[in-house]
Amino acid sequence: MNISNTQFLIGGLVIAIIIGGLAVFLASGDPDGLESTALYVQGEKTLTGDSPKDGDPEAVGVNDAVEYEAPLPDYSMGGEGGKVGDLIAVFAGIVIVFALAFGATRIVAAKKS
Amino acid sequence: MHIPDAFLPLWQSAIYWIVALVFIALALKWAKHELSEDKIPLVAVLAAGIFAIQAFNLPVAMGTSGHLVGGALAAIVLGSPYAAVFILTLVLIVQGIIFGDGGLTTMGVNILNMGVIGGFVGFYGFQTLKAVGLNRYASAGVAAWLACVIAAIAASVEMAIAGTFPLVPGLIAMGTYHAAIGIIEGIITAAAIYFIATARPDMITENDAAEAAA
Repeated sequence: MNISNTQFLIGGLVIAIIIGGLAVFLASGDPDGLESTALYVQGEKTLTGDSPKDGDPEAVGVNDAVEYEAPLPDYSMGGEGGKVGDLIAVFAGIVIVFALAFGATRIVAAKKS
Repeated sequence: MHIPDAFLPLWQSAIYWIVALVFIALALKWAKHELSEDKIPLVAVLAAGIFAIQAFNLPVAMGTSGHLVGGALAAIVLGSPYAAVFILTLVLIVQGIIFGDGGLTTMGVNILNMGVIGGFVGFYGFQTLKAVGLNRYASAGVAAWLACVIAAIAASVEMAIAGTFPLVPGLIAMGTYHAAIGIIEGIITAAAIYFIATARPDMITENDAAEAAA
């Protein structure tokens, strides 16, 4: 079942978009491993117990950290954007990464001899 | 395991950035000499796929979720740990700048953990397991699990040096959660290699040390 480069590119991009779309609706809202560890070392959660709904993993951090406001924090366009906003944000991210990887590889990759 | 800006003092972030930049330079050198133009579609699809799947947190019980990191996958499929550094750097740049996932000052340490450690452990783990007789998919799955767990252990040591997490509780919790998250890493890595090998077997570079020497 060998497919052409174009089919591979389009097929791969479509699969990425399907995964990203499913993520918007199905991804777990639980903290990730690092955040859970931060809650655990603060005594906000037990090792194997549930995570608190209002826990702040970053409370263990340093106070003078750089505060950078990303344009689309948490893969979302904010509360008013709703699920559609989340989908647009994730799809935009996928297309940007795809284009960036394609372009960067094109520039740096070895010429085929 | 994207470390936010608040978890590291600036001077430590700067040191990790310098180390990351050395590996990025080596990755660019690798790409210039070893990454042929016909791999462009594979790199683009891997980067987009890794980005998408990193947005998809799966529950692993214990009040915790996790997602594929993808360093082992990139390194195994493209036949070099530097492929992981190259691809994960691109993914982390977009995640940090546009989505606030992982900090900017801490992007260096995140590239180090997920790209460098993930890529090297994944690649050499895969080579070693295959050499001792495991099949391709089992080797890839176990190597990816190891890449996830060892990167998490490295992160807990970095957090301990920073004074953000105490060493032992940090190691226990990071190790426990990523032992579970690593199962996701292992299964998806093996499955993705199977799909790529089915669709385009020619695209997979399994730089076998033994085969290369023969």
